[in-house]
Formats: sequence, structure tokens, C-alpha cells
Amino acid sequence: MTKTTRWSALVALLGAAVAVAAIAGTTSSRAGTDAKKPIVIGWAFDSSGNMAPFDNPALAAAKIRVKQINAKGGVGGRRLQIKTCNTQGNNPTTAKACAVSLLGQGSNIIFTTCDVDYATPVVQAAINRGVLAVAPCIGTDQMGPKRFAAKGKLAFSFGNVAQDEGSAMAQYAWSRGWKSAALATNTYLVYFKNVVQAFDIRFRQLGGKIVDRESYATGANNVNSAVTRLNSHKASVYVTSTAFGELPSFVSGIRSLGNKTPILNSWAGDGTYWATNNPKVTNYYCVTYASVFGDDPSSAVRAMIASLKKAGTAPGTGGFLGGADAIDGVVTAIKRAHGSTKGSLLSAQLVKFKRVPVLGGRISFSAKLHTVFGRDYRVIQIQNNKASFKGLVRAKVIPKL
Amino acid sequence: MRRPPGAVTELLGPALLVILVGVVGTTASASNEGYFLNALVSVAIVVAIYVFVGISGVLSFGQISFVALGAFAAGVMTVPVESKKGVLTSIFPLLRDHSIGNVPSLLLAAALGGVFAFLVGLPLMRLSGLAAGIATFAVLEITHNVLREWTKIGPGATTLALVPETTGALQATLGALVAITVAFLYQRSRRGRLLRASREDPAVARSVGVNIHLERLLAFTVSGALAGFAGGLYVHLLGSITTEQVYLELTFLTLAMLVVGGLTSLWGAVVGALAVSGLDSFLSRAESGVHVVFTFTLPQGTRLVFLAAIMALVLILRPSGLTGGRELRLRWSLRRWR
Repeated sequence: MTKTTRWSALVALLGAAVAVAAIAGTTSSRAGTDAKKPIVIGWAFDSSGNMAPFDNPALAAAKIRVKQINAKGGVGGRRLQIKTCNTQGNNPTTAKACAVSLLGQGSNIIFTTCDVDYATPVVQAAINRGVLAVAPCIGTDQMGPKRFAAKGKLAFSFGNVAQDEGSAMAQYAWSRGWKSAALATNTYLVYFKNVVQAFDIRFRQLGGKIVDRESYATGANNVNSAVTRLNSHKASVYVTSTAFGELPSFVSGIRSLGNKTPILNSWAGDGTYWATNNPKVTNYYCVTYASVFGDDPSSAVRAMIASLKKAGTAPGTGGFLGGADAIDGVVTAIKRAHGSTKGSLLSAQLVKFKRVPVLGGRISFSAKLHTVFGRDYRVIQIQNNKASFKGLVRAKVIPKL
Repeated sequence: MRRPPGAVTELLGPALLVILVGVVGTTASASNEGYFLNALVSVAIVVAIYVFVGISGVLSFGQISFVALGAFAAGVMTVPVESKKGVLTSIFPLLRDHSIGNVPSLLLAAALGGVFAFLVGLPLMRLSGLAAGIATFAVLEITHNVLREWTKIGPGATTLALVPETTGALQATLGALVAITVAFLYQRSRRGRLLRASREDPAVARSVGVNIHLERLLAFTVSGALAGFAGGLYVHLLGSITTEQVYLELTFLTLAMLVVGGLTSLWGAVVGALAVSGLDSFLSRAESGVHVVFTFTLPQGTRLVFLAAIMALVLILRPSGLTGGRELRLRWSLRRWR
């Protein structure tokens, strides 16, 4: 072995040893032992990765809500406290380490990111220890027993379940007199697929006709083909559930063909950050948690948006509301469980939620659906790139997928 | 003092290093222990890659296919039956109605990885250079898409959850030691030497009767079995797995570990895996604040920039890796002690 080789290997090992020592030396702090201990919410969130646009606004709203609750004396005299850990793009090892660290710091409840696949390491770390796991905006029925079997009793999401959202979209379309629809399913996410499936079922139940079913996928470069095929079918409304780069491609693709048919999207298409200038977005609709355009019908929601703006975290979509609603929902569950933060007791209360008031309106859970249903969705319309609140819609039926 | 036999340090060096990391890992806080365990599982994966890429000299982007297969096989077969009936409703009844224990799942993962590698290796091991790289990348793509789309054998595009988290310090350390020992025995065997000869000069190797296709196929199979085994360790470490976690990022990260450590030696594979894992974990912690003499916090996102820059720097300064692609020898240190 040559001298330089030996030194290189030694330097590498020394570097690794320093890293090892630094990591090993990092110890977790212990929770206080006061009689009136705070209720600690450990929040494993993604501050800069794929889920950051969803996690950051939800966390910001939750922090404001916690401040408001603490200013009124907390929950049964106990203050709420949020401790955070950045999962750094939801790397599974980091996410799991975050969850274990937060639990080690005495977290009573664990909050996690807004995608169930990314959230799984955190959720499992919590529910395996009997701790309630909450997501502010996961939008599928996977956050619960469907994904996590018996232990999934302890997993809940304050996002809107896709079946409920798709059903509400169908009701809105029908109420507008749109009698036929052409569907374009983005197959990338279960949430995207389930929204369109639910619309399909509910719209036909209401008497509507589906004239075409197309599919495309995020990252597959096939959205333009779907748009071309969709354009060849005359329908009262085009329905999709999509976000990312496919959203502007889908909308501008249809409009570029001179097709002015209304387009209806889910919460995934909320906001105007994606709107193209040529052609401008027009005759476009989506359903969401809250209108962030200054015209939400709830004064409490408008006040929360004002607080977020003041804090320098103005929301781009209504998804922030999931963070505040999750805090309200958990607080209600703790009160109904007589102050307990035990996972099983909180879960038993949450599944009984029937039109329980939270900041954004009223929400429900059931033993099967641990993701919110029954919300009054805000319908947003975009005309010439300007968004405005059009009305409320609530699903009357949750289609079985 | 006589120079100790090379074989001793060739095996003991990597083994002792792995044991040291395993022991230190047990002293870390619960949240940090995962980083040590992840480093040990990385050693198993990188050693598996080394067995083929390092010894044969043929580039392969496909070894993570076998990690993926092992991870999903071990994961699906260890989820309790009562849970599988509720969450994996589409899989074949044979998979749904049976579960196996931790050790059998690791053996199954190794067996499947080996068989799969043998089958795809039959046609692919006739290739060399860029063609082999592209063909093995195709294997990775096919495996990824089959696992992602075929819900009869797994969860498809969604996360496989509820996998027992059995890879603790002991299992991770033993797993890495098993991989190192198998790699050591193979590279010291006649078969291993023949393959190494074909790496150095294929024409000469052929001229003295070495069947290069056969030797590469054998190495590919052993590598596949070790990679499958490492996949089993990985899924039992995380407790869940998605197809994205055993795809491109892991492919390039583990190849980078091997190249940084030294492509052509077992010592290089182990040093590279531990050095890059340690650096990655440290930078990850540093983004949330870490104490080394004084407390400091790196800006978000600097982890990947630092990691890439340091790896590039190492390769510029030492193209043959930190170890120079050589096995550990103690001659130099013993001489000083005389």
C-alpha cells in the first residue's frame, strides 16, 4: 500500500469517525416534568423538498392557531407546543429519525407530511408506539386502517378524502347544468385517480353522461396527447385532478386549440401561481378548502389568511387550512377524552366526529374513513388569470370506489 | 516481525471497521442510531455491487434491481397475514395467506436475488463496456416498472408498510459481515481470481482458457444474491419501502460510494460506503444543527451540494478512490512498531 493511499484511507476514516462522534454525541432533550406539562405536537415536515409547498403553509397556519389557543389558556390549562423536525425531502431514514427524535422529546401527538407514501416512516414510528399520527392534508383514504391495518386506527388526516371531493365536484358540475363530461385522469397519484373516479361515479348517479375517459401521468410527457384526444370530444365540462407541470400544460393546451369548454379541477389545481399568460387561464374551476383571494365566506378564515400574510407566509392555495383544522380537531378530541393525549383515546373520539366545527367549517370522520369528509368546499373560478370565490358545495354522497 | 498474511487483514480490516460502527451506533441516541444502521446496510449493498462491478470491471447499473426484489420479497412475506388481508388485497393468494420470519425472509431475498441475477445474466454477461451498462440499466427499469405496476406481487406504486423493523444494530452488523465474508471468500477463490484476470486483460484470460461469460455470470449471481440479502436488511430497517427508494438515487449513490472508496477492492467498498454514509448523515444533521466543538447549522439544501462537491474533489485528487483500489495491508504500520 503506498503512503498516499494509506493517508487517504486514514483521512476518510477519520472524517467518518468525526461524523460518527458528532452524530453519536447529539442527544435528545427531555420533556419537562411540570405538573401542567405542555401538550407537545411533534411535527416532521418537509421544508424544502417536493412536499414543502403543502407542508410549510399548513405548519405556519398551525403555529398561528396554537398561539391563539394558548392565548385563551390552552387546553384544560395545558399549553400547546409545536416541536419541528425537517425530513429534508422526506428521505426515509431522515424522516424516521425525525419521528423517533420528536417522540424522544416527549411529543404526545405526531404530525406528518401531506403524502401518505412519504409519511409512512413517520406514521409507523408513531403508531407502533401507540401515539396518534396526524397529517394536515393527505387527500386519500390511505391514512388509516386501509394502509396501516389495525394500527392504522391511530392515523388520521385533515385533508379532504378524494371520494368526497370528486363527489362534490360532480354535484357542482350538475348544478351548473353541465350534462356531459370528459374525464382526464392523471395516474401519478392515488389522490388524483380517486378524485376522477369519484366524479365519474357520482356524475352518472346524478344523470350526467361521461363522453370520454383519457389518462396521462406526471413526468410521462403525454399530457398533450390526452389534450388532443379530449379536444375531439364535445362535452359540457372537462374534468381532471392534477398539479405540477401538467396543470398549466393541460389548461393552456386545451385553450390553445380554441376550445373554451369549462375545466373543473380538484384542490390540486388551486391557486394562480401556475397560470400562463398566453393563453390566459379562463373558464377554469376548482374546489378547495378556502379561498385565498380575499373573498372567503368565513371571517375566521379571512383573519387566518391575514395573520399568515402578516407573518410573511401568505398562502398560495387553500391547503394551509388543513394545519389549522388539524390543531382544532386534535384539541376537540383531547377535550372529549378528558384531557388525555393517549393515542387510542384520541382515536376513539376522532372517529365519532360528525360535522364537528373547526376553523374552516365542519368536518367528519368515520371508522373506515380517517380522512375528512363533509367539508363545505369553496368553488374557485379563474377568468383571465383572476381568481374569485364562486360558491360553496358539499358532497351529499360518498361514492364507494 | 514477519508480514502477516494478506488474507487476514483483507478480511479483518473491513470486518473490524464494520463492528466498530455497529458498536458506536448502539451508543448513539435512538434517533441517530438509524444513521449508523443505514451506513451498515449501505456497506452490504456496496459490497454486493463490488462483487460484480469491482472484480469483473464491467459496469452495471442494474444491481439495485436485486436490492429492490429482495426488499419487496422480504417485506411482503413478513407483513403479518391478518394485516396483508386488509392492505394487500390484490396480491396472489399464495403471498397473501402466508408469512415467514425474519431470517427466512433474508434467505428468501438472497435466493430470489441470486436466481433473478442468474436468469438476466445469461444473455447480458456476454456484453462489456457501455453496452453492459445500458443493458443492466434496462434491467433496473424493467424491474422498477414491474414492481410499480404489478399489484399481484406487491403494493404497486404505493408504499409497502407494516414490515417488521428487525434490522437493529446486531442484524445490520451481522448482515454487513456476511456480505463482506462472502465477497472475501469469492474474491480469494479460484473463480474470483479468474474473473479478476479477465478484468485486467480479457484477451490473455481467454487465451489461457478462462470462460469469461461463465465467470461473469457466476459473479453476477453471487452479487445478485448479496444485493437481494441487502435489500432484505434495508426493508427491515425502514419498516416500509416504495419502488422509488430502490431505484435511481440508490443506484447512483451506491455506485458513487464504491468509486469514492476504490472500485477494485473490498476495503475500498467498505471505506467508501462508510465514509459517504457518514458524511451524508453528518451533513443531514448539520442542516438541523449539530455540535462539534461549537454548535452550527448549515443552510437547507447544502447537504447535497457539499456531498457532491466532496465526492468530485476526491475523484479529482484520487481517481482510483480513497484506498487506491487496494486491499488493506498492515505491513507499513508493523514496520514502524519494530
